[in-house]
Amino acid sequence: MNELLKELYQEIILDHGKEPRNFGECETHNKSAHGHNPLCGDKVSLTLFVDDDIIKDIKFSGEGCAISVASASLMTEKLKGKKLSYAENMFKDFTDLVKGSEDSLSTIDEDDSLYALKGVKDFPMRVKCATLAWHTFKNALKE
Amino acid sequence: MNKDKTLHKDIRKDFPILSKKILKTKDLVYFDTAASAQKPQVVIDELNQFYKSHYSNVSRGVHTLSVESTLRYEDARKKIQSFINAKSENEIIFTKSATESINLVAQTFYDKYMSTGDEIILSLMEHHSNLIPWYFLRDKYGVVIKFANITESGEIDVNHFESLITPKTKIAALTHLSNVYGSKIDEKVSSICKRNNVAILLDGCQSAAHLKIDVQKLECDFFVFSGHKTYGPSGIGVLYGKENLLDEMPPYQGGGGMIGEVTTDKVSYAELPAKYEAGTPPIAEAHGLGIAIDYMNNIGIENIINHEEELTKYAYEKISELDFVKIYGDGDNRNSIISFNIENIHSHEVSSFLDVEGIAVRAGHHCCQPLMKHLGVNSTSRLSFGVYNTIEEVDIFINALIKCKEFFIK
Repeated sequence: MNELLKELYQEIILDHGKEPRNFGECETHNKSAHGHNPLCGDKVSLTLFVDDDIIKDIKFSGEGCAISVASASLMTEKLKGKKLSYAENMFKDFTDLVKGSEDSLSTIDEDDSLYALKGVKDFPMRVKCATLAWHTFKNALKE
Repeated sequence: MNKDKTLHKDIRKDFPILSKKILKTKDLVYFDTAASAQKPQVVIDELNQFYKSHYSNVSRGVHTLSVESTLRYEDARKKIQSFINAKSENEIIFTKSATESINLVAQTFYDKYMSTGDEIILSLMEHHSNLIPWYFLRDKYGVVIKFANITESGEIDVNHFESLITPKTKIAALTHLSNVYGSKIDEKVSSICKRNNVAILLDGCQSAAHLKIDVQKLECDFFVFSGHKTYGPSGIGVLYGKENLLDEMPPYQGGGGMIGEVTTDKVSYAELPAKYEAGTPPIAEAHGLGIAIDYMNNIGIENIINHEEELTKYAYEKISELDFVKIYGDGDNRNSIISFNIENIHSHEVSSFLDVEGIAVRAGHHCCQPLMKHLGVNSTSRLSFGVYNTIEEVDIFINALIKCKEFFIK
């Protein structure tokens, strides 16, 4: 099997794509946003409960390809319990990672589950699938 | 399997991009002609030659280059007139895209013939380019849009279409050949429109390079298509309109080239076709499109149709044998396009997988979100054929599809 595909569809991606974690809506939330990739129709809805600058709860729903669903799922796992400032750094690191620049990552390292999405860099048309949830997160914070 | 293998070997040599290796090792299998067709060497060479030897603005100067450019630009118009069998070259308007052609008709047809409360009929399988220009009219002027249903086999439900017509219906805008199903419109639709005094626009983006087009036989009032899907350059579209309608409708954009006389108080407009061609047009692109039409004519439209029919039939049969694949629409009335999904695998995954095998297919909603909703899916994969595709490529595709399923569904 092609190495690029193996890199793209690592076990953890297929797993989260099929059985996303934190799927649904937070019981109480004070931030939310909808994301949509008009090019391919992928959709994500995000709800968060933020208290004292800490993400106490975060859930998503929506539909899309394995990459976009897995990315949203992994993102919620990562962001839960994090400080907003840290989460914003993570946003930047993640978008850098999937675009192929990993020189200045401060919040994501090779052992990180998010690192599994690195293979997206070889499929430029799929970067938007991987970053949809993250951009939605960013929009939710703007509220 | 191919009736005429030699024909096709030669044809592939005409398209330099087909020798490209994907990821340095895989032969390119280009199954995305419905999104955009590849260009034959002769079109590439002629564009180059045009800029090197003949280029200038058109219809303005009297110097040699202006004459050479204008002759080629107008010659392309004549080629298109003959290609779609329009009565007059005044009925051929160059635009920047088929999308612009539809916007032009929507705006100017409304201005001349419609008012608030009048009705337009579209179908559920229209491309966004044949939806949004009409939505603009709905939002701006309060016209009513009705949608004709689609049958299971992927065709307009003719009875339902007819039932939507009222005395307020002014125009129907429908795809001539669906970019999702590959289905051709039932000719009855045009006669129903004629009988009820409803104008009809046919979106020919998917048909112009794959069917014999005769706008008089089709009985359409408007027909649009794009250059890039007919082996020509991008950046050029065509609008065919019946001369009496184009005469009566107002201009679309104002600018140079579309005027008769201009004073500080008023303006008169140029005669057809210049009336609708404001600004410097896509000059080299028009010439390139003319060359692409020559290219298709040299192969023979009938030969193209036969070849693509054979490919489509073969691919449809082969895909139908795969029990994990769902095809949208059925096997009859299908021309050069097959949309499908693999159970439980998103079309993006399918497309990325096929890509590393060297195979280009389209994944997504195909600019047909209302149709995707109707089908109850988020997206589909689509293969579409051009004159350069072969039966062997279909076999490569089928094998890759099987491997794809095995990769994702263990």
